[in-house]
Amino acid sequence: MQNKDEDKELRKLQKLFLSGSCWQRLGTLLVIAVALFAVVAPMIWPDYAGQDLSRFLESPSIAEPLGRDQLGRSVIARLARASRISLGLSLCCVLTAALLGGVLGVVSSWRGGWIDTLLRSFSDAMLALPGLLVVLIFSAMTLGGFWTLYTGLAMAQWVEYYRLVRARSRLILSSPHVEAARLLGFGPLYIVRCHLWPELRPLLLTLMAFGLATAVLALSTLGYIGVGLQPPTPELGLMMTEAFPHYHEAPRLAVAPVALLALTLSGLILMQGKGVAR
Amino acid sequence: MSFTFNSVRIAALAVCSSIAMLAQAAPPLKIVGPWEIHSIDPAGNGVFFTRLQVAESLVDADTKSVLRPGLAESWKVSADKLSWRFVLRKNAFFHDGSPLTAQDVVRSLEIARKKPGVIKTAPIKQISAQKGDVIVELTKPFALLPALLAHASTQILAPASYAADGNVKQVIATGPYRISQLAQPQSILVERFDKWWGKAPDIDAVSYLSVSRAESRALMAESGQADITFGLDPVSVGRVRQKGSVQIVSVTLPRTILVKFNAAHAALKDVDARRAISLAIDRAGLTKALLRDPEMAATQLFPPTMADWHRSDIPPLKHDPKQAVQLLAALGWKPGSDGVLMRDGKPFELTLRTFPDRPELPPIATAIQDQLRKVGIAVRVSIGNSSEIPAGHRDGTLELGMGARNFALVPDPLVTLIDDYGDKGGDWGAMNWSSPVVTTALQRLAVDPTDNEARAHRAQVVTQLQSELPVLPIAWYRQSAAVTRKLEGVVLDPLERSYLLTEMRWRKP
Amino acid sequence: MIASSVITMGALSRRIAGQRLVQFVLVTLVVCSLCFLIVQQLPGDVAFRIAAGRYGYDYVTADAAEAVRRELGLDLPAWQQFVRWVGRTLSGDFGVSLVTGVGVATELGEHLRNTFELALSSLFLAMLVGLPVGVLSGLRPGGGLDRLTLAWTVAARALPAFMFGLLLILVFSVHLEWFPVAGNEEGGTLLLPTITLAAGLAGLMARIVRDNVIQVTASEYYRFALYKGLSPASVFFRHGLRNIGVTSITYAGMQLILLLEGVVVVESLFAWPGLGHALVHSVFWRDVPMIQGCALMMAWLFVGMNTVTDLACLAIDPRGRRE
Repeated sequence: MQNKDEDKELRKLQKLFLSGSCWQRLGTLLVIAVALFAVVAPMIWPDYAGQDLSRFLESPSIAEPLGRDQLGRSVIARLARASRISLGLSLCCVLTAALLGGVLGVVSSWRGGWIDTLLRSFSDAMLALPGLLVVLIFSAMTLGGFWTLYTGLAMAQWVEYYRLVRARSRLILSSPHVEAARLLGFGPLYIVRCHLWPELRPLLLTLMAFGLATAVLALSTLGYIGVGLQPPTPELGLMMTEAFPHYHEAPRLAVAPVALLALTLSGLILMQGKGVAR
Repeated sequence: MSFTFNSVRIAALAVCSSIAMLAQAAPPLKIVGPWEIHSIDPAGNGVFFTRLQVAESLVDADTKSVLRPGLAESWKVSADKLSWRFVLRKNAFFHDGSPLTAQDVVRSLEIARKKPGVIKTAPIKQISAQKGDVIVELTKPFALLPALLAHASTQILAPASYAADGNVKQVIATGPYRISQLAQPQSILVERFDKWWGKAPDIDAVSYLSVSRAESRALMAESGQADITFGLDPVSVGRVRQKGSVQIVSVTLPRTILVKFNAAHAALKDVDARRAISLAIDRAGLTKALLRDPEMAATQLFPPTMADWHRSDIPPLKHDPKQAVQLLAALGWKPGSDGVLMRDGKPFELTLRTFPDRPELPPIATAIQDQLRKVGIAVRVSIGNSSEIPAGHRDGTLELGMGARNFALVPDPLVTLIDDYGDKGGDWGAMNWSSPVVTTALQRLAVDPTDNEARAHRAQVVTQLQSELPVLPIAWYRQSAAVTRKLEGVVLDPLERSYLLTEMRWRKP
Repeated sequence: MIASSVITMGALSRRIAGQRLVQFVLVTLVVCSLCFLIVQQLPGDVAFRIAAGRYGYDYVTADAAEAVRRELGLDLPAWQQFVRWVGRTLSGDFGVSLVTGVGVATELGEHLRNTFELALSSLFLAMLVGLPVGVLSGLRPGGGLDRLTLAWTVAARALPAFMFGLLLILVFSVHLEWFPVAGNEEGGTLLLPTITLAAGLAGLMARIVRDNVIQVTASEYYRFALYKGLSPASVFFRHGLRNIGVTSITYAGMQLILLLEGVVVVESLFAWPGLGHALVHSVFWRDVPMIQGCALMMAWLFVGMNTVTDLACLAIDPRGRRE
C-alpha cells in the first residue's frame, strides 16, 4: 500500500520536474536570470562601498541605472554584490545541508540499530525547532558572523534531507535489486552510485530548490531584524531596512532589493511546479 | 414599584454614569521612544522615572542647567566647606500617602551610595538626619555636591519601595505623577498624583511605549498614533516636518558624537596620527548628508550651547585629506599595493566599534570608514552592543570606539569631564592618555575657584583636548521630537532629565 | 466492536502522546545545550554586556560590570555551570533575566499570552479566509479562483513578511489613518499584525485544501455516492468533509512552523510584546536565560500544537495516521 502511494508520488514529481510546463519554464528562466545578474553584474559595477557624500541620493543615469543611495554609493553595485552574497551563501548552506542530511540518511538506513535510533531521535528533536529559531540562537554567538550564519542555516535545514533520504533508502536497500547486487559481490560504493543516487536525485533537487528559497528569505529576515550580516556588507534585507526612511524621497532604494528578492523567490517556487503545495 | 421598573432605572443610571466617566477621562498623552524600562532601580534606570516626573531628587535643574530647589527647599555649606545642610520641604508626600521625612532621604542616599553611580565621586564621610534636615559631611571640600544630588540615581523613594536587602521592589516616589500600570520592559502608564507639592499639572495621564525600530517610531509619529515621538532618524524628521498635524521641536544637547582612540595602539600613539585621522574626516559633508543638519559639524569637543566650555578663539577642526596624507607619510607610512598604508610590513588597519541604539551612529560609522579609506587607513566597522566599548577599554582590545557622549549627566559637566579625562582615563573618555595640565586644571575646578581662575582652567582643558585629540569630535547633537499640534507648551530638556510634562497643556479647540 | 475501537483509539492516542513526550524532553535538552554553548562561546565579557543592558550606555563602566559579576557568580568551571543550568531548567526555574533582573518565568508568562493572542487570531483569520476559498477553488479546478490562489501563494512566499507589514502600515496607518501602527493597547493594534501573518497562511491553506478537495472528489467512493443519487451538497458534507479534514489538518500542522517564524518578524515590526519580540531582543543583548526561556517556550508551543493536531486527526479519523 505504502509503496504504491510513494511510487505514484515519485512519478508525479518526476513528471512535473521534467515536463516543463509553462510556469516551470518561467520559474527556471527567472532563476537563471538572477544567477546571471549575480555573477556578471559585480564585474560591470565593482565598487559597492565607495561613498561620495556630495552625491547622496543622486537620481538614476546611464552610468548608474539605479542612482546613488544616502551615502553616495552606487545602488546597482550594492544590489549586484548583495545578490551574489545572498545566493552564494544560501547555495552553500543548502548544499551542506543536503550533503549532511543525505549522508546521515544513507548511513542511518544502511546500518540500522542504535545509530539509526540515535540519529532519528536527534532529528525528531530538531524538527520541533523552527528553522529561524535555530538560526537566531546560533546568531547569538557572534552577531552577524558569516560562519555562524552559515552553520545556523545548514543546521536548520538538514533534517528534511535526512528524513527523506532515510525513508527512500530503506525501501531501496531492502528491494530485490540491491539484494541481488550484494549477492553478486558489488561493494557499497557501487550500490550507492547505481541504485540509491538515481532514485534520490530528483527528490533532493526539488527539496534544494525549496531550501534555497527558505535560506534566502531567512537571510533577509535576519538582516532586517538586525542580527544578520552587518553593515556595510550589502545584503538584501539590510538594504531594505536602510532604504525605508527614504521611501518618500527615493523609493527606488527600497523597491530595487524588494523586486530582486521577489523575483528570486518566485522563480525558485515556480520551478518546483504546481503540484507541490508547500 | 415593579421589579422591571427598578432594574430599568438602575441600568439607565449605570449607563449614564459610565458615559459621564468616559467623557471625563481624557485619553492619556502618548509618548513613544527607543528607551526601555530595563530596571526599576534608581542606580540602573533612574532617569526613566525622573523623565516621567514620577520620582524626584533633592536638587532640581532648569533647562539652562541652573540648579534650583527640588525636594530640598534650600541648602548651604558650612564655613569649612566640609558640611552641607539641606532643608527639606514640609509639604511633600510619597505616592502611598506617607509624608517625606529626613530619615527617608538618608536611607535612599545610603542605598544609592552602595551601588554604582555618580554619587560615588563625592568624598562623602557621612549622611545623617538632624531636626528634619539632611546633613552631608565630606572628607574634603567638593563644590559639585548639589549638582550630584540632582542626578536621577539619587532620587528619593519611600521606605516601602525597598526590600530588606536594599533592592527596589516598587517605585513609590514624590513626583506629580504616580505609576498606574507598569509592563516591563515595554510600557508604562502614569497618572496625576493629587498630593504633589507643586502646581497641579494640566495633563491627567501619560503613557510611554518603547518601540525599538526607528522606522516604526517614525510611522507612529506620522500616523498620529503617538503624541510625542523621540528617537527619529534624521531623514524621518524632515519627512514628518512636512505633515501639517505634527511639529518638530528640537534642542541642542550637551552631547557630542565622538570617536575614542586607544592611545597605546602602535598606529595611534603619535599625536600626528590622530590629527591626520581628524583631518581626513569631512564633517560638513557627513552632517549634511546623514544628519541633515550641517550646523552640527563639530569644530571642537563642546557645542556652542555649553557656553562655559565652548571657546571661539581656538583653531577649529578642519577637513584636509592632503595634509592628512602628508602627516602620515612623515610618520613613516607608505601606501601598499592595495592602497592601504604600510609601515614595517604592517598595514594601517583599525576596528571601529559602535552601536545601533542611536539610529544615526551606524551610517556615520560607514561614512567614516570610507573617508579613512581614501587616505589609506582600512577600517572595519563592528556594530554591536554599547557595552563592548567600555569592555574594550578595560581589557585593552578597543582601537576605535564611537558613541554619543553626554557631558551633562549631572547638571555640571565638570563631573563627567573629571571621570573621562582624569589621570586614569575613562570608559567613555581618554584611553591610555593623560595630561598633567588637564588633570590639575580639572582638580582645581572641583574646589570652587573664582570666576576668572575657573575660566583660565577651562581654557587650558579645552586647548589641550583640541590639540592632543585623545578623543575625536565628529558632530554635535540636536535632539528632535515629533509633537502633535494638539499640545502646547512642549519644551525639550537639554539635560534629558525630564520631559517637562507639568508645563504641557492640551490646546483648547 | 465499539469497545475494541475505543481501546485502539486509546492505544493510538497514548502512542502519540508518548512520542510527543519524548520529543519534548529531547527538544529541551537540545535548546539547553545550545544556549549553554552560547554562554561559553561569547566573545568578550558577559558581565559588561549585562551592565550595559541594566544601566544604559551612558553609565556602563567597569565598576558596574564588577558589581554584576559578583552578583551572578560568573566564575565557576564550565561543566558545573552546565549541570546547574540543566537541573534548574528541568525543575522549572528559568532564572533571572540578565538585563531587567525580573524572573524569566514571570516575563515569559506575559509574552506567551500576547503571542498566543496573535497566533490564534492569525490562525482563525487564515482559516476563515483560506478554507472556503480552498474548497471553492478545489470544486472548480482550473477556474479563475484557482489561478488566483496560486498567484497568491507565490506572492506570499516571495514577499518577505516585514515588507508586507510595512506596506500595510504605510497604507492603512499613515495614509488612511484607519489603524494604529504598533504597540499593544486596545483600539485595533491587533489588526495589522494579524493581517500580515494571516495573509501568507491563508494562501497556503487554500492551496492545501484545494489539492485535498480535488483528490477526494476524484476518489471512487465519492463518485459512487454521486452515482447513487445523493445530491452533491449532501455528498460533500457527509463523505467529503471528514476526509478533507484529516489531510488538511495534517498538512496544516506542518505549516505551523511558518506561523512561529512569522511571529518573530511581525512582533518586531509592530512592537507587539510577545515571545518573538523578546527572543530577538534577548539575542541582541545576549541575555542568555531569556534566549533559552523564549526558545524553550516556542519549541514547547510547537510540540504542543503538533500534539493537538495529531489528536484532532485521530478524533476525525480513528484509523490513525499511516506512517
